Amino acid sequence: MNYLDTITRMNLHEKYLLTSKQIPDFISFLKTQGAVYAAQKKGEQSYSYQYVEDPANVVLDYPRTIQPLKKFFLPPREELLSFDYQNNSYQKTDVVAEKRIFFGIHSYEMQGVLRLDYSFKKGNPEGNYLNRRENCIFIGVSYEPDEFHLANALGIEVENTEGLSIYLEPVREGYIAFVIDEAGQNLIQGFGKTAKVTETIHIKEKPAKAKIRYHYNRLPKVFEHVYTSQVWGQIAKKCLGCGTCNLLCSTCYCFDVRDEVSLDLQSGTRERFWDGCMLNRFAEVAGNENFRDELSSRTRHRLHRKFKYLTEESGALHCVGCGRCSKYCPAKINLGTTINALIDDFTEQQKLKEAY
Amino acid sequence: MSKPKVAFFDFTSCEGCQLNKLNFENDFLDMLEHVDIVEFREAMDDKADEYDIAFIEGSISTPTCIERIHDIRRRAKVLVALGQCACSGGVNAMKNLHQPDWVREEVYGNEKYRFPSIPAQPVSAVVKVDYEVRGCPMSAPEYLHIFKSLVMGRKPEIFDHAVCVECKLKENECVLDKGMFCLGPVTRAGCEAICPGNGQYCTGCRGPISNLNLEGAVEMLREHGFSETEARKRLHLFSANELV
Repeated sequence: MNYLDTITRMNLHEKYLLTSKQIPDFISFLKTQGAVYAAQKKGEQSYSYQYVEDPANVVLDYPRTIQPLKKFFLPPREELLSFDYQNNSYQKTDVVAEKRIFFGIHSYEMQGVLRLDYSFKKGNPEGNYLNRRENCIFIGVSYEPDEFHLANALGIEVENTEGLSIYLEPVREGYIAFVIDEAGQNLIQGFGKTAKVTETIHIKEKPAKAKIRYHYNRLPKVFEHVYTSQVWGQIAKKCLGCGTCNLLCSTCYCFDVRDEVSLDLQSGTRERFWDGCMLNRFAEVAGNENFRDELSSRTRHRLHRKFKYLTEESGALHCVGCGRCSKYCPAKINLGTTINALIDDFTEQQKLKEAY
Repeated sequence: MSKPKVAFFDFTSCEGCQLNKLNFENDFLDMLEHVDIVEFREAMDDKADEYDIAFIEGSISTPTCIERIHDIRRRAKVLVALGQCACSGGVNAMKNLHQPDWVREEVYGNEKYRFPSIPAQPVSAVVKVDYEVRGCPMSAPEYLHIFKSLVMGRKPEIFDHAVCVECKLKENECVLDKGMFCLGPVTRAGCEAICPGNGQYCTGCRGPISNLNLEGAVEMLREHGFSETEARKRLHLFSANELV
C-alpha cells in the first residue's frame, strides 16, 4: 500500500489532539463510560490486557500482549453450566454482557476479533461468544512492527481502522485521535477537553521487519500445492507439540469441554477451555486412534486452517500476523520463515512443471 | 451401597506423595465421606484383606518390592500408581544410568551384600496399573479428579499435553523467554503449571508427553543456551527410564 494513500485516507477522519498529560484523564473518562481494558506490564518483560484500575499503568507502546484479545470473548477457561445429579437438573451459567472499552489495541488484534466473529457466527451462532462481543468499543493505537509481526505482509497495515472507533497515532505532543465512527465521536465529545486538529497529519511509515516473498493474495494458491511439501517434516523435527502456537493464536477458537464433579459427588460444573490441533488428544477418537498422529500433519493442518480452508470459505486469510506463534514458540519456529519455505517449494514445483 | 475400600502403600520413595494427601485438610475430610480407608501406614495401624482401590507410591527397586506388589495387585480391584516414582521410577531411576555394583557400594559401602537391589522400575513394569497420578510430588488436582472419578465409577480424563498449555491458559510470562531453563514444552501437564506460575521453572517432574520429540527438546534447550550434556542430564532427572 502506498503510504501517501494511507495519509490521505486517515486525514479524511476528524482529528483531535490528546496530549500526553491528557491520556490518563481520557482513560479516567473512559472508565465512567464502561469497563476499560488495556495492555499493562505483566512479569519482567511481557504485556497483558487487563482491567484498568489505575490509568497510569496503561501501556500504549508495546510489541504485543501474551494472550490475544480473544481471551475476553472466548475465555481460556469458562464454566458453561452447573449440574446436580440428585434432582437431575442443570443450570446454564449466565454470560453478562457489560459495556467494555478496549483501549490501545493494534490493528491486527482488531482483525483477529473480526475473524473470530466470522467463525462464531457461521453455522450455529455461538451464544456465549456473541453475548460477550456485544457492547464493546475498540480504541486502536499505532505500533512499531518487530521481527515477528507479519500483519503488514498479510495485508493488515498498522493504520487499518476496520472495527475501531478511535485510532491513536503518536506525535510529539502526545497522540492524534482519529475519530472513526459515531461511538468514537461520542467519546471524544463526552471527554470534551481535546482540541480539534485541522492541518494534515503526516503519519510516519512504519516499515515491516518481517517479509513474505509473495503478495498475500497468492498464499491460498501456494497452499493448494504444498500439501505434500517436505517443509512439514522439517518443521516437525524442531516442533515439540507444545501447542503454544494454537493457544496464543488470535484466530484459533478450538476448545474442549470437561465435566468436573465436586467432592460431594452430587453436583458439578461443565467447563470449556482452549484446545488446539497441535495437541495429542485433539484428533484422538475411540480406540486410541489418532487421525493426525504426526506433528508434521498437525502443523500442516494448523497452517491450512489459516491460509486455505477458512480462506476459501470466508475470503479472508485467517492469520492476522500478530506474530505470537513465532515470538512465543519455545523451539523458535518462525511463521514467516515457514511461509517463505513453502513459497520456495511452490516456485520450484512451478519451474519443474515448465520444464515438462 | 457400601463405601469403596481404599488402601495406600509405599515402596521406594520419600513418602511425600502420601503426605501430600494428608495436606488436603478440609478436602480430605470430605473424601473420607465416600470411602473407607482400610490401610494407610502413614496415618493408621489397621490392615485389610482386599481393596477396591489400591494407591501405590514409590518405585520397585528390591526383590521384596516385587513380592509385595504382586500380593497387593492380587487383592486390589483397581490399582493406581501415585507420584512419579511409581509411574516411571522417578528420581530413583537415575541410579539405573550407573553400574549397579558401583551404586550399591556408594550407598551401602561394605554392607552392600545385606541390601539386595535391582534397577528402579515403575510399578507398571511388574503388575498391571490402571491409572497413574504423575508428578513429584503427585499433582493434587489430578489426584482429586481420579479419586472422584473412581468413586463414581467413571473413567478419569488424564491430560496428555505439555505444561506450556497450562502456562498459556493462565497467561504466565514464558520462563524460557526470561532466559531461564524450562522443560514445560515437553512435560506432561496436570500440575496447573504451578512452578512456572510461581517464578520457578519446570523440572519435568511429571515425565514427558506421550509424543516426546527428544532430539527436538535437546535442540530447543541448545537454542536457549544450554549445552547438550546439560539438556540431557536435566531431561533424565525424572525420566531416566523413559528416555534412555
